[in-house]
Amino acid sequence: MTNPTIENIRRSLGRTDQSALSPRPAIYPPRQTESAAAEIDRFLREIKKLSGVGRKLSAGDVEPALRTLLSEQDIHTATAWDTAFLKQLGITEMLQAQGVKLVSPNADKREMAKCDLGITEADYVLPETGTLVLRSSYEKPRAVSLLPRVHLAIVRPDSLRADMHQVFAEAKHDHYLLFITGPSRTADIELTVTLGVHGPRNLYVWVQTPQ
Amino acid sequence: MTSPLHQELIIMSETPSYIAFEEYSERVPASIPAAVQQATERFVAGRAARVGELPQWEELRQIGSDIRQHTLENLDIYLARLEAAVLSAGGHVHWAGSGEQARQIVLQIAQANSVKAVVKSKSMATEEIHLNDALEEAGIEALETDLGEYIIQLAGTGPSHIIVPAVHLTKEEVAALFSKHLGIDAPTDPTELARIARETLREKFLSAQMGITGGNFLIAESGTLVMVTNEGNGRMCTTMPDLHVAVVGIDKVVPDWESLTVFLKLLARSATGQKLSTYTQFITGPRRAEGEFGPKEFHLVLLDNGRSKILSDPVGRDVLKCIRCGACANVCPVYKNVGGFAYGSFISGPIGAILSPQMLGTQAARELPFASTLCGACAEVCPVKIPIPTILLHLRRRVAEGDEFSEPTISLPLRATAALASLALAWNWIYRFGARLLPAINPFFRRDGWLSGLPYPISRWTKVRPLPSFGSRFRQWWRARSAERKGEKR
Repeated sequence: MTNPTIENIRRSLGRTDQSALSPRPAIYPPRQTESAAAEIDRFLREIKKLSGVGRKLSAGDVEPALRTLLSEQDIHTATAWDTAFLKQLGITEMLQAQGVKLVSPNADKREMAKCDLGITEADYVLPETGTLVLRSSYEKPRAVSLLPRVHLAIVRPDSLRADMHQVFAEAKHDHYLLFITGPSRTADIELTVTLGVHGPRNLYVWVQTPQ
Repeated sequence: MTSPLHQELIIMSETPSYIAFEEYSERVPASIPAAVQQATERFVAGRAARVGELPQWEELRQIGSDIRQHTLENLDIYLARLEAAVLSAGGHVHWAGSGEQARQIVLQIAQANSVKAVVKSKSMATEEIHLNDALEEAGIEALETDLGEYIIQLAGTGPSHIIVPAVHLTKEEVAALFSKHLGIDAPTDPTELARIARETLREKFLSAQMGITGGNFLIAESGTLVMVTNEGNGRMCTTMPDLHVAVVGIDKVVPDWESLTVFLKLLARSATGQKLSTYTQFITGPRRAEGEFGPKEFHLVLLDNGRSKILSDPVGRDVLKCIRCGACANVCPVYKNVGGFAYGSFISGPIGAILSPQMLGTQAARELPFASTLCGACAEVCPVKIPIPTILLHLRRRVAEGDEFSEPTISLPLRATAALASLALAWNWIYRFGARLLPAINPFFRRDGWLSGLPYPISRWTKVRPLPSFGSRFRQWWRARSAERKGEKR
């Protein structure tokens, strides 16, 4: 079946359906990685520049850090990705112990919209830009990092990648991929920077380090 | 409340039959250039800071330019790949030859799914085809959800800047708009106003049946729609409703994910001075599981609307390399003094001045190629190296000499003179013959050694300034001079 748009393009370019693809120009190579410690420091510096709150912590620090966050942000309702790593950290148990109401991450969107806090992992992070990369599945629903007013991402050190090239090589066959670089922001009224216009207003990033 | 002048500037809601740039720029209220310059200064400084951090910036620009060029030259193949990949990911692909066809396609999808309300994320393509008007006419609520777009939708005006469309309105004006349309007493604090918009629009996101977006890039390799936003409204539109329709120009294709790395590094740095925008989404077809959120159906409307025709002009086609960052407008001395309205279309600034004449025709937009000082600042900042001044000159020529859209604006005798002049320059013997002949006219027009009052069409020159009278020819003069010098040396 011939497609009129493609026909018109060929006519304009003087090509036919037999025309071959010319070789694509070479791409600029990805940036080189530094030592893991330097990369984590760089990542946390970028998060701070983006008005996020980043810190390193070991498994034992999770509970006190979470308690602080809950009181700082006045959290009553929360939802979290249903992943092995977050289960292993015991996140949902900690929340329940603090009296926080838990909503299933697969709940109806109106239920999810009532959550104060959404907790995810980051499947990859890019230190140079302070970017979290999130994949999507039934266990990792997209709304957890979108509807609640506070987003907490807990990062495993093995998720560091030097540049987006490596992320794409690993995840380009995913049906959905998301880069998050700082909290939701706008400068649409008199160029005044305002956080949390539609997405989360506060972004917390905790990078797990070995004990 | 908008001033009457703002109301007058609602010229963008319909496809213009004539863009009277000069007249529009005279009507621009003084507050607009003031606000626009504040925005452009900030973006120019932000861009400069990010560019300064990257020693490889110029190399990235060159590669970006090369890949865009390559993609346009092979566009038929990449579009066919893209279509196949979207289909195999479970998405739907619709080809829209014209804006009217695109509107019909979107309306049919909406009506087939009994859609009552649509949430939209900022999109140049839907502005281009006036989709909101078509939806409203069909009784479907179409709500812009980008804060700036939401404000100008309430105000009923067009955008004054590509990145911050409502920058011409003060916080007091925004508060008045919110009070009037939302029936509340809105404060004049920008943060509070943003919070009100968040709450109002949140309900709309949750209840709308369809999200309509544009797209920044389409990856041919995998059929992926790439969307870059800051507020999160783009994510809402693609995550909450069960239907997602993306209207995207056929020029937005990139070959593969590796190529995309170059454009993601160029785009936000050039546009807003960010390393990356807050949210970058990579969407390949609909959701796989209900509980993960995202649409049940994904529709991609591929919009031609004149683009395939633009490709036939080997000079003008470079306009399609554009990745819509707005950097050219931010540095343009003309744009900074008139703002977005004066360009009379969905796209303004230098890029608008070379796109509108090619899209709407050189008749409708014939003033735009002249809305420039040709200073070249735009080409210096363009992340994909579009030679904007060259295309401006090329389009001036098309306007002057006429093309398939328009009659020549330069009279026949003038064009004949120009044609003769170019013949004379191309053929040496005509030139020499003319040079011998011309001194013969001296006695008829010479006054005090100058020629004035020459007949039409040369009178267009001589009524402004006289020409020196035709004397001896250069080569003759040079030979004579050399001979004289040799004589002196001896």
